[in-house]
Amino acid sequence: MSSGGLQLENISRRLGARSLLHEISLEVPAGECLALLGPSGCGKTTTLRVVAGLDPVSSGRIWLQGRDITRLDPGRRQVGMVFQSYALYPHLSVEGNLELGLEIRRVTAAERHRRISTILELLQLVELRHRRPAQLSGGQRQRVALARALLRQPDIVLLDEPMSNLDAQLRDNLRPELRRLLCGGRHPVLYVTHDQQEAMGIADRIAVMSNGFIQQLGTARDLYDQPVNRFVAEFLGRPAINLLLPQQGHQLGLRPEHIRSVNTGGLEAKLTGREWLGNQQLLNLETKRGQLKMLTSADWTPPTELRVSWDQGRELWFEEQSGERVK
Amino acid sequence: MNLRRPIIVAGLLLWSLLPLIWQLQTSFRTPDALVGGSLTSGWTLENYRTVLQGSPSFWRYMVNSALVGTATTGLTLSLAVPAAYGLRQQAATLKRGLLLLLVAAAVFPYVLLFLALLELARQLGWGNQLLALAIPYSGLSLPLAVLLLQAGIADLPNEIEDAARLEGLNLWQRLHRIVLPLLAPTLSSTAILVFLFSWNEYPIALTWISRSELLTLPTAMARIAGSSIYAVPYGAFAAATVLGSLPLLLLVLLFQRAIVSGLTQGAVKG
Amino acid sequence: MNFISHFQGQPFATNKVESYSRGKSLSLLLLAPALALLAIVFVWPLLRYGWLSFHADSVITGLVAIPNGGANWIRLLSDGRFWQDALQTLRFAGVSVGLELVLGLALALALHQRGPGRGVLRVLCLLPWALPTTVMALGWRWIFNDPHGPINALLLQLGLPSQGFLSTPSTTWLVSVLADVWKTTPFVALLLLAGLQSIPTDLEEAMRLEGASPWQRLRRLTLPLLIPYLGLCCLFRVAQAMGVFDLIQVLTDGGPAGSTESLALYAYLNAMRFLDFGYSASVMLGMFLLLLVLSALVLVVQRRFQQQQELT
Repeated sequence: MSSGGLQLENISRRLGARSLLHEISLEVPAGECLALLGPSGCGKTTTLRVVAGLDPVSSGRIWLQGRDITRLDPGRRQVGMVFQSYALYPHLSVEGNLELGLEIRRVTAAERHRRISTILELLQLVELRHRRPAQLSGGQRQRVALARALLRQPDIVLLDEPMSNLDAQLRDNLRPELRRLLCGGRHPVLYVTHDQQEAMGIADRIAVMSNGFIQQLGTARDLYDQPVNRFVAEFLGRPAINLLLPQQGHQLGLRPEHIRSVNTGGLEAKLTGREWLGNQQLLNLETKRGQLKMLTSADWTPPTELRVSWDQGRELWFEEQSGERVK
Repeated sequence: MNLRRPIIVAGLLLWSLLPLIWQLQTSFRTPDALVGGSLTSGWTLENYRTVLQGSPSFWRYMVNSALVGTATTGLTLSLAVPAAYGLRQQAATLKRGLLLLLVAAAVFPYVLLFLALLELARQLGWGNQLLALAIPYSGLSLPLAVLLLQAGIADLPNEIEDAARLEGLNLWQRLHRIVLPLLAPTLSSTAILVFLFSWNEYPIALTWISRSELLTLPTAMARIAGSSIYAVPYGAFAAATVLGSLPLLLLVLLFQRAIVSGLTQGAVKG
Repeated sequence: MNFISHFQGQPFATNKVESYSRGKSLSLLLLAPALALLAIVFVWPLLRYGWLSFHADSVITGLVAIPNGGANWIRLLSDGRFWQDALQTLRFAGVSVGLELVLGLALALALHQRGPGRGVLRVLCLLPWALPTTVMALGWRWIFNDPHGPINALLLQLGLPSQGFLSTPSTTWLVSVLADVWKTTPFVALLLLAGLQSIPTDLEEAMRLEGASPWQRLRRLTLPLLIPYLGLCCLFRVAQAMGVFDLIQVLTDGGPAGSTESLALYAYLNAMRFLDFGYSASVMLGMFLLLLVLSALVLVVQRRFQQQQELT
């Protein structure tokens, strides 16, 4: 196996009769940030916990920086993790939270102090060092959790929905900062989220998961423009892709921004509703091939009866039964 | 609506305190005053003198009870904490079964066990050994203690322990550095409930202890009554009641919140 | 152990790290000391009684256990004193637990309002429960003393004859019920109060918006949600009251004329006064069986109530 980064080799995890992860294989080189994206229950958090060693695997192997860590105790994996709840020790101060792990690893007091000071400064936590977690805001807690994860100079950083407890505006502000702190270092990063915007904003590549399978792995652009199947096409993009009623075993997928109004040809459509989105508007259309959502400029006043077509070459065809995309 | 609460408080006050106040005033009366005298005369401290200078002194019983209580609390917690923590790691079905058994043991009227425990004490030479009482007492307190502690532990977020595992803390270090500090409130309420049980326990102490200088408070009191069925020395006895109740009053006043939270947690989670 | 089967057939080098299975067995080790003590204190006595109850072991046999082929059990079935005590114990438990639940519920409902003096109320509720039973049993003896106790003093003042409360069978058992109700009612109220406080207030508010009267809110919302608490309280109190010993032994010693003797006291007397250990073991097991039946009954009734609520 090659050295450096993280490799998952056919990882499966079963719990009784249920299969939580199915033959997951992926590779994250050092410095790259890979997002695991999917709906809840898709196996993304399980993948993270398997890498951390918190959950055992049923089969397959995990390599980290050239070591086989498949059955290594979590405490010996050199893994830094930010939990969804941040999991800060409520009875310890910020400093105490950072110090505990180093103390357990028998790092000398002087070295502990040096490392903690550095990380506190990096994350602008110096003034908060004596506070308890309960006295911190959500964003501050997240930074402490991040500091704790980075402090031990991990071989990989794992983040489990680190933004889900923060409000929307803070999330928008934190995304670039998180990317600056995490990515491009000597370690790979695995980032679990169900929010596609977050995944696109932070990660270099995205793995879309569902039902314990990786559906597709690639850059955000690849996934959006060239989804391998209907699930990926539907999961990415807001407002979601239009799926027309199937014909002869095939189904046409059209993204709302690719639909145009035309004078002749195309489909007859009836306007049934409008949603104003500020700079754009979303039209709800009724056609004989099903409901359509169409994204247009905000200042156009559409007639109640119109004809629509789509940008040639942007349409996506799927097999009706399997959902696979027809190339 | 506004009047209801004060009335209830007053009613509860009378209900709970009247019998105790009667004991308190009895403890300061002379025997003559008790069998019909006026409230203006017959007040005395003689009863307290009798009780404290008796042989053995009443202090002796209080010290005995306190010793047994402390030993029981210590032993119970040192067994119950690891057990409650170990219970968390077990598979769901096994855990559920064990919890049900613990609930059954906690409601079991333990007086039924006295004979077998007495035989045990005789065989092991634990009769008339004050601190040996801590062993059955701990066994009897364990079900409730484990139930309370495991409920407290179940309330701790899993992710905190996961975080500690990732940082390389082993089972013992996690218990000692993470779980115990977070469990402090539950620990204190459990400790008080165990201590109260031990302080008040009667049938086992009655059968294990016969030497008068080793009696615990409840057995000493009952012996006063038993030795004189027809004429209990009520004045002296009331003085003993007051003295024996003071530590409990203090405990209840100081730890009322912890006791209630422990009891209710037991009820909710048990 | 589950984890081991997960790993079976996998091409792992068996290196030194077997964290998962090791963590499991270590956690069993944490349980072991407590389980051992519990087995000694709870399981062993019951086994021992099972064995003893098929043996004659008394002064007559020279305190040596001799198998007597179930004679103890035959004697138990025709022992009038056992069955009389069983009825007396049931009477005591039924009446006191019934009163405690009704009064405790009323008290809990009354206390379930925000207001000052919570701490005081808590102390008042806890104090009677925290005092040793034996101590208060003697206190009650003095309070009901004939003729010098305060109750009789009051009767005399009113020109009424003093009553031998503790020397008349028809009143003595009521005094024992009073002592138990005094000690336990506030405690039951405290537990039920916790149950009340666990009911989300928005449920109550939703019912008020629908125009439900206080009585309807109690019947349709509060009581159904309180059933688990009432059931648990009932189970716990019935088990404790069926095993009543301290109170009876000190307050009446089973008298007058055995009219307040409880099963636990009878078992105690058989062992400690009549020195008949074999028969004492049978009495205790008989009592245990009775208790099992009662507990099953309480659980069945609770389940029935709960199902009824779910159906309506």
